[in-house]
Amino acid sequence: MNDTAGTGAVLVVGGGISGLTAALEAAEVGNDVFIIDKNPYLGGRVAQLNQYFPKLCPPTCGLEINFKRIKENRRVRVHTMTTVKSVSGGPGNYEVQLETAPRYVNSNCTACGDCEAACTVEVDNEFNFGMNKTTAIHLPHEMAFPRRYVLEKDACGADCLEAVKAACKYDAVDPDMQPETRTVNVASIVWSTGWNPYDANKMDNLNFSKSDAIISNMMMERLAAPNGPTQGKIVRPGDSKEPESIAFVQCAGSRDENHLEYCSYICCMASLKHMTYVREQYPDAQIYVFYIDLRSPGKYEHFRDKLMGDEKATFIKGKVADIIAEDDGGVTVVAENAVTGAKIQQKVDMAVLATGMQPALGEQGKVLGVSMDGNGFVVSDADKGMIGAGCAKSAMDVYTTAQSSTAAALKAIQIAK
Amino acid sequence: MNVQPDLDFIKDMKSAGGDTLKKCYQCATCSVVCPLSSDGDPFPRKEMIMAQWGLKDKLIGDPNVMLCHQCGDCTAYCPRGAKPGDVLGAIRAYTYKALGWPTGLAKLASSGKNLPILILIPMIIIGIFWKISGSHVPTVEEFARNGYGHFFGHWNFYWLSKNVFFIDIIMLPAAGLAAFAAFKGVTALWQKMSENAGVGDATFRPSAIQFITQFLFPAMVEIVQHNRFKECNANEDRVKGHLPLLLSFVALFIVTAYSAFTQDVLSLLPGINLHGPISMWNPIKILANVGAIALIVGIGILWANRSQKEQEGQATKTFYDWFLIWEIMAVGVTGLLAELLRLVGLPSLGYIVYFLHLVSVMMLFMYMPYTKFAHIVYRTAAMAFEKYRQSAFVKDPLEG
Repeated sequence: MNDTAGTGAVLVVGGGISGLTAALEAAEVGNDVFIIDKNPYLGGRVAQLNQYFPKLCPPTCGLEINFKRIKENRRVRVHTMTTVKSVSGGPGNYEVQLETAPRYVNSNCTACGDCEAACTVEVDNEFNFGMNKTTAIHLPHEMAFPRRYVLEKDACGADCLEAVKAACKYDAVDPDMQPETRTVNVASIVWSTGWNPYDANKMDNLNFSKSDAIISNMMMERLAAPNGPTQGKIVRPGDSKEPESIAFVQCAGSRDENHLEYCSYICCMASLKHMTYVREQYPDAQIYVFYIDLRSPGKYEHFRDKLMGDEKATFIKGKVADIIAEDDGGVTVVAENAVTGAKIQQKVDMAVLATGMQPALGEQGKVLGVSMDGNGFVVSDADKGMIGAGCAKSAMDVYTTAQSSTAAALKAIQIAK
Repeated sequence: MNVQPDLDFIKDMKSAGGDTLKKCYQCATCSVVCPLSSDGDPFPRKEMIMAQWGLKDKLIGDPNVMLCHQCGDCTAYCPRGAKPGDVLGAIRAYTYKALGWPTGLAKLASSGKNLPILILIPMIIIGIFWKISGSHVPTVEEFARNGYGHFFGHWNFYWLSKNVFFIDIIMLPAAGLAAFAAFKGVTALWQKMSENAGVGDATFRPSAIQFITQFLFPAMVEIVQHNRFKECNANEDRVKGHLPLLLSFVALFIVTAYSAFTQDVLSLLPGINLHGPISMWNPIKILANVGAIALIVGIGILWANRSQKEQEGQATKTFYDWFLIWEIMAVGVTGLLAELLRLVGLPSLGYIVYFLHLVSVMMLFMYMPYTKFAHIVYRTAAMAFEKYRQSAFVKDPLEG
C-alpha cells in the first residue's frame, strides 16, 4: 500500500477508543486504513481514565489489545501529531491533505529515558491536566503507543536541547524536524474526533479557578490513576490534604443552554464510579452528590442502587450554583434542596465538577465539509462517505462508542469496496 | 379522574410574559444565584413549580413573589431559558388582577388589548368636564397671565377657584378609588400571606403604632435606600433609573401636597391669593422642575435598560411592564412640555398638552392598584410582612 493508493482506503480521524475500533474493524476485513491523531499517542480520553465502564477495568485492558491488533495489521497506517488540513473530491475518491507537526524525536527512539534524565526544563503535564510537571522531553504517558518520546522544543531552550541531544545514544532527538504534509486518497472518512472536557472556567459561578479544592471529573480520574500525578492517591491538589469530605457537582455545564445544552450522558455514572474510588481509599469520608436527575441507563441502575445505599453518602436533589473558596483550603458548595425547599451550604474538603463532553472537532469540521448539528456533533452522511463515530457523534460511554464505531466502519467500507 | 387544566391561569401567565415557565426542570440554580432569596425560604424554584401546577392561591399568598425585584440573575443563569424573573413578574401581574377591586376595572387594566379604552376613559371624563366648565381656550395675554389656571374656566367665588374645584372633582375620586382598592388588595394579600405562613393564631397582635414603627417604616426606609435593588448583579443598572424615579415621585408628591394645601386650604383665609403660576424661583417650583427632570431621566434609564434586556433575550416584552414605563414617561413629558409651552406662550397647543397631562396623571392614579405600579403598595406590604414573620409576634423567640 502507498499513500496515494486511491483504491478504497478509509481515513479515520482520531485515534481514541472509537477511532481504534473503526480502523481495526475496517482493516481486518481487508481495507487499507489511515488512522491519525493530533496527540503524540493513540488511546484518547480512555487512556486518561483510571477505570472504565462497564467492567471498571483499567484502560490498559482495552487499549493494549487494540494496539496489538494495529501492530499486527499491515493495512493500518498510524500518523500521530497529525491533523486534517483540507478535504477535496467526493465519496469514493477523497483527496485529503494531512499535516504532521514535528515531534522532534525520530523513530530511532527506544524510550530508554536517558534524555528525560538529562532534561532540566519542566513543563505542565497536560496528560494530567496540569496537576504535575513533566520534563520538556517526555513519554506522553506510561503506556503511550507509539512508544516514542516527544519534545516540546519551544519550552526546552538551547541548553536543554543540547543536553537531551547529547544524552541520546541513538541519535533520535532531531530539533530540526519540520512540519510534514502528505496527501492521501481515500474512499470514505470516519470522524472519530472525540471530546474535550467542557472548560470549567466558563461557569463563572462555580469559581473553578479560585480554589485548588475544585477539580473536574477528568482530573479525578488522573488523581485516582496509578500512573497519575499522585500515583493513584486521591488528595487535594495544592496542599495534598486527604479529603474527609467531598462533594460531587453534577451537570456542571451540561443540560444548560448557556453552556452545553445536551445531557453529557456519562457524568452521573462517572461520579458514582468516583465514589467507589473515594470509598476504597477513605472508608469514612463524607460524600455529597448534588444532582438534578440521576441518570443510570440500563443495568447501571444496580450500580447506582448500591452506591445510594452508602451510609456516609448523601444525595441532594438540587444543582450547585455557587462554590465559595474557604481559608482552610476547602470549599463551601451552595444549593437548594428541592425536596425540603431549604438552601444548603455544605463545607467540604474537595468538590468535583462533573463537567460534560464537548465535541472536539469544533468549527473546523464545517470547513472540512462535515455536517454538524447545532451542538457541534457530527451528523453522519453515509452516502457521502462522511461518517461520525463515538463521542464525535453524540455523548456516549465506551461500550456504546465501540458499537457506534463498528457501525461507522461498516458504512465506510461500503463506499470503499 | 378528569383533570381540567386551568386555562385562564395559563393564559394570564402567557400574556404577562411568563410562558417560559413550562421550560423549568427544577434544578434550583435560580434559588442559589438569587441575591435576595433567604436560606430558610429560598425562591424562585418553589414558585416556578407552584406556577406550573397552577397553585394560584399559594402564589398569591407567597411573600417571595412580591419580594422579588426582578434583578434577572436567575434568568441569566437559568440553564433552560425558563426566565424565572419574568415568571415571577407575571405572577405579580396575576396577583394584582386577582386582588383588584372592582374586578371589571382590574381586568380591563391588565390587558394590552384594552389600551385604547384605558386612554379613552380619562380623556372622556376630563373632556366632558372641560366642556361643561365652558370649553375655555385662552388668548395669548390670558395664557401669559393665568397659565393653565383657567383651564376649567374661572368664577368669582373667592374661596375655591373653579379650576381647582374641577381638578378636585376629577382627581380626588380617581385617587380615592385607587386608595380604597389598594387598601382592600393589600389587606387580602396580608391575610393570605398570614394563612400560608400559619400565623393566623398568633397570641399577640401588633398595635397600629407597633405595626408602623416596627414593620412598615423600616420597610419603607429599605425601599428608599434601595438596599435590595443594589444587591442585584445581572441588572445593577436598574438602580440608576429606579432611584431617581422614586425620589422624583417623593418630590412631586411634596409639590402636589403643597399645591393642594395652598389652593384648597390657604385660599380659604382672607387676603391670600395663591392662584396662578408660581415664580420660577420659588423653592417649590424649583423642586417641581428638578423632580420632573429626575422623573424623565429615571424612567428614560429604565426604558433603555428594559429595551436592552429584551434585545439580549433576558426579558420578555410585555404590556404589563411597558404600560407603566409609557405612563410615567407620558406624565413627565406632557408636564414639562406644558410648562415650556406656557413659557413660550402657545396657548392652544399648550392646552392640548396640558389636557394630555391631566389624562396621563389620571391614568397613573386610577389604574395604580391593577398595573405594575401596584408594586408600590404590594411589595411594601410584603416587605413589612417579611419583618413581621420574623418578629416575636409570630416566631417564639425561645424556640427560634
